[in-house]
Amino acid sequence: MPAPIEPVDRGGGARPDNDADAAGDLERLRTILLGDSLGMLDARVAGVERAEDELHARLPAAIERAGQGAGAERMASALARPVTQALGAAVRENRALIVDVLFPVIGPAIRKAIAESMRNLVADINRTMESSFTPRGIRWRIQAWRSGVPYAEIVLKKSLKYGVDHVFLIERDSGLVLARESAPDLPELDADAIAGMLTAIGEFVHDSVGRGAGDTLDSARVGEHLLWVVHGPRANLACFIHGVPPTRLRAVLEQRLEAIHARAAGGEIPGDEETHASLRPETLVANDRASAPAHSRWPARIALLAIVLLLGWFIVRNERAAAWLDGVRTRLAAHPGFVTTGIDRRGDRTIVHGLLDPDAEPPAKALGEDASRVAFETTGFVSADDAVVARRARRLLDAPPSVTIDARAGALSLGGHAGAAWIERAHERAAWIPGVGTVAFSVVPDDAAARARAALDTVTREIVARRIAFVRETELAPDAGSALDALVTDIARATTLAEHAGVKLAWSTVGTNDDPGTDTINARLRDERARWLADALVSRGVANVHADTAAADDTAQRERAAFVHGEITEPAP
Amino acid sequence: MTAQAFKVCMLGDFGVGKTSLVARFVHSTFSDKYLTTVGVKVDSKEVDLAGRAPCKLVIWDIAGRSHLDALNMTYLRGASALLLVADGTREKSLHTALDLLMQSRTLLPDAQVVLAVSKLDLVEQWEIAPAALEELRRSLPVHETSARTGEGVEAVFADIATRLAA
Repeated sequence: MPAPIEPVDRGGGARPDNDADAAGDLERLRTILLGDSLGMLDARVAGVERAEDELHARLPAAIERAGQGAGAERMASALARPVTQALGAAVRENRALIVDVLFPVIGPAIRKAIAESMRNLVADINRTMESSFTPRGIRWRIQAWRSGVPYAEIVLKKSLKYGVDHVFLIERDSGLVLARESAPDLPELDADAIAGMLTAIGEFVHDSVGRGAGDTLDSARVGEHLLWVVHGPRANLACFIHGVPPTRLRAVLEQRLEAIHARAAGGEIPGDEETHASLRPETLVANDRASAPAHSRWPARIALLAIVLLLGWFIVRNERAAAWLDGVRTRLAAHPGFVTTGIDRRGDRTIVHGLLDPDAEPPAKALGEDASRVAFETTGFVSADDAVVARRARRLLDAPPSVTIDARAGALSLGGHAGAAWIERAHERAAWIPGVGTVAFSVVPDDAAARARAALDTVTREIVARRIAFVRETELAPDAGSALDALVTDIARATTLAEHAGVKLAWSTVGTNDDPGTDTINARLRDERARWLADALVSRGVANVHADTAAADDTAQRERAAFVHGEITEPAP
Repeated sequence: MTAQAFKVCMLGDFGVGKTSLVARFVHSTFSDKYLTTVGVKVDSKEVDLAGRAPCKLVIWDIAGRSHLDALNMTYLRGASALLLVADGTREKSLHTALDLLMQSRTLLPDAQVVLAVSKLDLVEQWEIAPAALEELRRSLPVHETSARTGEGVEAVFADIATRLAA
């Protein structure tokens, strides 16, 4: 029987002799219990300790070897959990370090994402701006106008791209995939699991929030994808779409599902090539674009015609208005004492701005009937127009009717007769009238005028009695030359007397003939002789003379001659 | 060639290991952590059958229940097979699985049914007596499985696939 083991005092008393004894006892006990195995166990313990010491050096190479070949997946699976937990612990305990490590990665990623979004936005805006001024943009505007849809929405629908990524034909009861089509170059996915989950979610939604048989899950958004579900009696169609699809696409999907049900004719839903072909994304999109409502072009043509007519009417109206304005401007330019400075349009009224002399006639008088369409806004000024100067002279000089006033290019002519006091006053003031440069004053006192008037009557009677004789046709008789000279002298005298008398004088020549000859020949001869005499007088400086070819041959004495008749016009009162 | 797909629904009480069975079969993974299934989770896996065309099992892992409500019944619609799962360490879960089978028969009278008794790795703690299982085998195909070790998992799904492809 082994010797009893003395218990070891762990109370902490300092007994070196006893400790040495205890260690010796323990060593004896190990020898008794383990015998020869002791050395082997010591060797194994030393081996384990050595392996543990070397583990940190061997571990990286061991992990690298395990990560290659057939064990790679197992290694990844084994490390997944501890690595995840280690990462979580690191985030909790040293968040700042994690942020510092990830910052160089996250920053560029965020910037890249923002840049991509901005590029797309700019591209969309560019497309929109470009479309505004192109025939396509105009067509979209017309479409927006006809349909009542905002232009921006039309542009977005036409500009933004969309695409169908996956289409699943799912058996309604089991949720199994009957047919599936995906766009090319998309990663593989578990269509059966997705279809099953879609069916389960649809059932859950219907059971949880649905109120009636028609309450079904029709659409959902999954990240950037839009999920549309079209329901049929035996199968549903699920469609994953990116972008913004038009509502027409849903109609296309419904048509396809109806066609598939029609082909099933109550039997199994066919999963043949025709079904697959009808579900291919590219055909769905193409069909959607082809099924865009084909509007009749007649309304557009009528609208275009209306626009053309309206444009034509507008052009004609503008042309007529411009021509009318030119006429107004021309007539106003000829109106003495008015200067046009501008013409405005205010609604239907035309406003003429200008300068108006107080002595001028109202400018509306120049426009006649058009005056009702025009309003004047005038500013006063002093005009140098001859007619206005003459009117101004008459007003300022307070000229009696017996005085004649004429103005030409700044030269004022005063004639007729008036009282001596007026003549004296007018002499002083005439040259000071604005617009008058020189004055020709020939007004005679009233008594002298009366005498001149009486003498004028006598002279005109003598003039009428003078005959210029012809041998034949317009060949002058031998003494006709001296008779013509005497006639011119009488006319000059009569003209001077008329000025003194304050009357105006005009002359008309009349031809005569003898008895032989037809009326036609005689009428021609009378005309020729009247014209010959008028021309002769004009050539000798006689003013205000004309041939009276319409005068009848009522002279008592039939002769081959011509004579002059004076016409006296009294001044207006 | 496209494999024919069959819908398989998992039925069983809470915590019997339905999700673990599916995870082991589909993803070859196992976790000790218990996460209750919310609603349903659908997975699929293609099964190669000797001398036959492969078939695909679309597995609906329905949340554990002691009875089927209306929503669970809609999940069962169109199923070709039911995989009943019972926990060998809880005899009561076997009764629940059989109750669920009775309830589902009204909707799926012709569906293939297989029973999996799980947690074979804890066989020393099983409450279900071997005699009871022998009795059940007379009317149902019964498999003993362990999602932890993978024992019997492939076999139970292969059995279902074989019966469906037959």
